[in-house]
Amino acid sequence: MVLVQAIIDGILVGTTYALIGIGFTLIFGVMHKLNLAFAAASIAGAFASLVAWQHFKDLPVPLVFLISAAAAGVLGYLIYLTCFRFIPLKSPLATLMATVGMLIFLEEIVTHVSDGKAQNYPGMLPDARWTLGPLDIRVDYILVFAISVAAMLLLLALLYRTRLGIATRAVAQQPVAAQLCGISLDRTNAATFVMSGVLGGLAGAMIGSSAELLSNLLPLQLTVKGLIVTVIGGLGSIPGAIVAGLLVGAVEKGVETWSVLARDLCVMLLIFVFLVAKPAGIFGKLNVRD
Amino acid sequence: MLEVSDIVTSYGKIEALKGVSLEVEPGKITCLLGPNGAGKTTLMMTVAGILKPRRGSVRFEGRDLAGQAPRRIVEAGIALVPENRLVFPNMTVAENLAAGAFTRSDGAGIAEDMERMYARFPRLKERSTQAAGTLSGGEQQMLAVARALMVRPKLLLMDEPSVGLAPLVVEEIFRIIRDLNRDGTTIFLVEQNAHMALQVAHHFYLLELGKVTFSGAPGQLAEAEVIQRAYLGSKKTQ
Ligand SMILES: Nc1ncnc2c1ncn2[C@@H]1O[C@H](COP(=O)(O)OP(=O)(O)O)[C@@H](O)[C@H]1O
Ligand SMILES: [Mg+2]
Repeated sequence: MVLVQAIIDGILVGTTYALIGIGFTLIFGVMHKLNLAFAAASIAGAFASLVAWQHFKDLPVPLVFLISAAAAGVLGYLIYLTCFRFIPLKSPLATLMATVGMLIFLEEIVTHVSDGKAQNYPGMLPDARWTLGPLDIRVDYILVFAISVAAMLLLLALLYRTRLGIATRAVAQQPVAAQLCGISLDRTNAATFVMSGVLGGLAGAMIGSSAELLSNLLPLQLTVKGLIVTVIGGLGSIPGAIVAGLLVGAVEKGVETWSVLARDLCVMLLIFVFLVAKPAGIFGKLNVRD
Repeated sequence: MLEVSDIVTSYGKIEALKGVSLEVEPGKITCLLGPNGAGKTTLMMTVAGILKPRRGSVRFEGRDLAGQAPRRIVEAGIALVPENRLVFPNMTVAENLAAGAFTRSDGAGIAEDMERMYARFPRLKERSTQAAGTLSGGEQQMLAVARALMVRPKLLLMDEPSVGLAPLVVEEIFRIIRDLNRDGTTIFLVEQNAHMALQVAHHFYLLELGKVTFSGAPGQLAEAEVIQRAYLGSKKTQ
């Protein structure tokens, strides 16, 4: 029963990993480039909201979340400008190295802002519990799940029901034809970085909030976890990122009941299994766009 | 209508167009023939704004469009049906058409044009909710043409629309080209199928190794010679 409980918790909180995976995957889908600074920017957004929360006492939690999402969206745009916009896209490593630099830079900023230690962060209803037979589920985990699912539905509506969505998918599938339709690559790329940034900032805030702590180590930890989710899901696949996020969350919490130390090891084992057995990821089709 | 003068376009150090000049008259079908690697696609991409020319001008209705962003060129009224069709494979037929109308904001006009495309291409209507990648080659070509027409172009550029299609489908594509032209669209067509192209063209150019080597009406040059030069270039004999 303990294990079932842990796996349910893992799936609920795993939705934040799914959001991070979606962010990586969206950018890859549109630009066919990895943005290694993405998860660090998401946590940096959460730290921006932390600074606001510490400065203006008693900010309501929803507002803190919105600040984190907005700050990470702005960071997303800045990363696009500094690491992609003016860097030759033909060179396969140039933008990758630029984003590594940005990752280190953002991590350094987080270290300064946090004084090198974990900081208190506002929780959502930390003590509320929902008892369901033998299960005892934290209400804030349910909120995390609900907010993440709402954000994903909003993203899907944006991608499949709006002009920006048409532009984004067109550029991802066939950039030359997209330009022939009058779609601007530059604007669409920038919009994608902002969209994924907003999702990441929301995820970063929820990760901090459900622990009531923002750890200064999160930028690197979440980068690794986000990449694992992206690879397991298949680069460029949104459904893949969702399933992989839930899977990683469930494995993490499940293993935690046995040994906290084995937790990250098992997640690494998971990616090893996938790379050997299914290198294109759950839904990934190597060589096929979108 | 379209005047291309002394255009030079290069890939790195390789000059693919070495000073190309030609003209497309309003209301006519103008064809560009030439062997593989002559630079036909490079010229189309340069006119459409995807490639930036080193030198030269592309005047359209009196304005110089050379080096402008593709969006400006679309807005000026030029649409390209690209080589290999390049439909958006994971978008539905209807979404492909909507993407074609991206620069327009007249919702009612777009809906009306979409119906017109479905009337002109009934097969697209049957498949309107299907992913474009699942269509046959001929259907994808129809979709690429319809997507370009959603721009309501004054000038339609077409890069080898018949390549790789079954003979009956090729006939249909050329019927569509004639129909479109009769309905008032000026057409600038690149073709490998010289025989079919000479039947629809009012005027044609031969492009060889990045240079225009002939300009005239069909009939001014024996078809056998056109075909030979369009496939092989002028240095070889049959
Ligand atoms: N992306 C590219 N990079 C380098 N060279 C290219 C590229 N595309 C075309 N070329 C070269 O430019 C010349 C003209 O090509 P292209 O315009 O495609 O000819 P065509 O359409 O007449 O077959 C060819 O020599 C081709 O090898
Ligand atoms: Mg060509």
